[in-house]
Amino acid sequence: MSMWETLEEMQPNVLKMLKNSIQKGRLAHAYLFEGMRGTGKKEISLLLSKSLFCTNPIEGYIPCETCHNCKRINSGNHPDIHVVEPDGASIKKHQIQSLQEEFSKTGVESKRKVYTIVHADRMTVNAANSLLKFLEEPTAETTAILLTEQAQQILPTILSRCQIVTFKHLSPDHLIQKLIEKGVSEKKAPIIAQLTNNLDEGLLLSNDEWFAQAQSIVVKLYEVLRKNPLEALVALQENWFLHFKEKEQIDQGLDLVLLILKDLLYIQLGKQNQAVYLDESSRLEQFALQTSGQRLAHQMTAVLDAKRKLHANMNPQLLMEQLVLELQEGSTFV
Amino acid sequence: MRFIIQRDRLVQSVQDVMKAVTSRTTIPILTGIKIVATNEGVTLTGSDSDISIESYIPKEEAGDEIVEIKQTGSIVLQAKFFSEIVKKLPTDFVEMEVQNQLQVVIRSGKSEFNLNGLDPEEYPRLPQVEEENAFEIPTDLLKALVRQTVFAVSTSETRPVLTGVNWKVENGELICIATDSHRLALRKAKIEIETAHNYNVVIPGKSLNELSKILDDNNELVEIVITENQVLFKAKHLLFFSRLLEGNYPDTSRLIPAESKTEVIVNTKDFLHAIDRASLLAREGRNNVVRLATLESKGIEISSNTPEIGKVIEELVAQSIDGEELKISFSAKYVMDALKTLEGHEIKISFTGAMRPFLIRPLNDDSLLQLILPVRTY
Repeated sequence: MSMWETLEEMQPNVLKMLKNSIQKGRLAHAYLFEGMRGTGKKEISLLLSKSLFCTNPIEGYIPCETCHNCKRINSGNHPDIHVVEPDGASIKKHQIQSLQEEFSKTGVESKRKVYTIVHADRMTVNAANSLLKFLEEPTAETTAILLTEQAQQILPTILSRCQIVTFKHLSPDHLIQKLIEKGVSEKKAPIIAQLTNNLDEGLLLSNDEWFAQAQSIVVKLYEVLRKNPLEALVALQENWFLHFKEKEQIDQGLDLVLLILKDLLYIQLGKQNQAVYLDESSRLEQFALQTSGQRLAHQMTAVLDAKRKLHANMNPQLLMEQLVLELQEGSTFV
Repeated sequence: MRFIIQRDRLVQSVQDVMKAVTSRTTIPILTGIKIVATNEGVTLTGSDSDISIESYIPKEEAGDEIVEIKQTGSIVLQAKFFSEIVKKLPTDFVEMEVQNQLQVVIRSGKSEFNLNGLDPEEYPRLPQVEEENAFEIPTDLLKALVRQTVFAVSTSETRPVLTGVNWKVENGELICIATDSHRLALRKAKIEIETAHNYNVVIPGKSLNELSKILDDNNELVEIVITENQVLFKAKHLLFFSRLLEGNYPDTSRLIPAESKTEVIVNTKDFLHAIDRASLLAREGRNNVVRLATLESKGIEISSNTPEIGKVIEELVAQSIDGEELKISFSAKYVMDALKTLEGHEIKISFTGAMRPFLIRPLNDDSLLQLILPVRTY
């Protein structure tokens, strides 16, 4: 199955739109691909570049994958394609400036040029403003592709200059099936499908020792919280901080906590089949009897709040301690 | 690919193409040098995507065999390692052989290197050259053209098109213009061109600087081909490609004043030295301002005054002064840059008032012109 067909199965609307634009010669000068992690944004941006550069596209739009342009795009060696990725945490102004410098010159091989900005939401304000002018006055045959997971964080002035293409969220059921086909155990697959949309990433997680341990630590933390809230802070020190060190790891840990709360809510609503912690279902069912829907909603808000603060660079230790206090049953922490 | 080559020639060629290779590139293949062996000889290519240099080593030259081609083919080798290796090889001959899976063996005397190569298919394609649109000029003239204009290009990226030199071919004449919007350098040269095609391109200043470094000082002809995306300079066994700047160059013809109110003719060297001395007390931060005033007694006075440091006044005898009296201030740096490019013994400076740009030209020579904007000092 060709790359195009595989991706078409994943994002039929996006590819149909791109196909029509290419065939009718109505490509926009700038696209903003917006969608969840793992929905195929980067793959489709590469595919679009190949369609534009391919010397012998099939039916006029499907890249052949065999000509020298397609091959070089796949290996990242095409001189007229530029990819900007965050340098550290953000995309800096100088990166946009060197892109502008590059585009003040003619193309190396042809007049056509494409640039892709990965994680466009992570541009610093300065970088975004430099890009703005550049987006506004595109030279002929230049195509910009901006990729982002959080379109709402992009400057409205940039949004208004791009054609926004929304990538649809992949259904977890679909991914669960694929994961099971690839040999992931039926008990693990649902939880992985909740955390990622990407098959390869999911497979990686299923074999990750760290991830398996993370699950048990999270469940344990919740258990302690239920049984003996006073010990929760101690449990944090003993288990949590030793295991979740990096920001991404803490983020994933918080996702796991959120999934437990979600499961409890599902069980309360009688939708046991939607729960993802299959290993722990008996214990969770017991917990579900002891809490209220309102209480769960409150706790979920607290976790989401913690996730937001994590991205705002709050001290992780304080962050987790605050969360644990919020999650404690009984008296509301003021 | 397999061939045996004289080491000296290989070292020379590698050094030439290395001038185009940079380590900081986003395209991995450009860290390499492309080597192509055909039945006629060996070609080496280096590129940083802005400029590309191709060096050609013919099979034989003047009856002397330089390369013995055993099998044709091509490969890309890591420039950093390959250039160091060839420099340090023990004997005068080098054998290079590509084995399967892009493995390269380099043998010289009893030493043998195995290098991992890259796929030559991945290397950027340089534009195919159409000979008929070419024109030729001697190397020394080309270098002079570059030297007399490229210093005036803008260094700021706010208007990218001004970081290049505008090359125009019209009616058998090549016109080179560079400006950073405070000064302008213009140089014309007669060329022989067969087609009636007119060209108007902007070549990045950086590329021209590199070009003049890589060309030898002689009067052999350099062939110049302008294509849609790139310009090619073709010297003996050496091809220099540069990308062009996108966008339209501003029309500068109306900037150059046709008439003047004051004309001064002075000795180039004396004038340059006087300004150099006056600029000693002029401050970098305040545009290096130097004042020039005409005197009644057929002389000019050059002065500079920085209250915190001191002042300097120098009188200079001019060959002739025609027209109105004048007091004008300008940047010493700009004027010195311009004067350094003038070859003639004497120069003519044409002023049209203290607030208007002035022209510096060699006496009796229309091919070169330097235009400078004065500084307002009140």
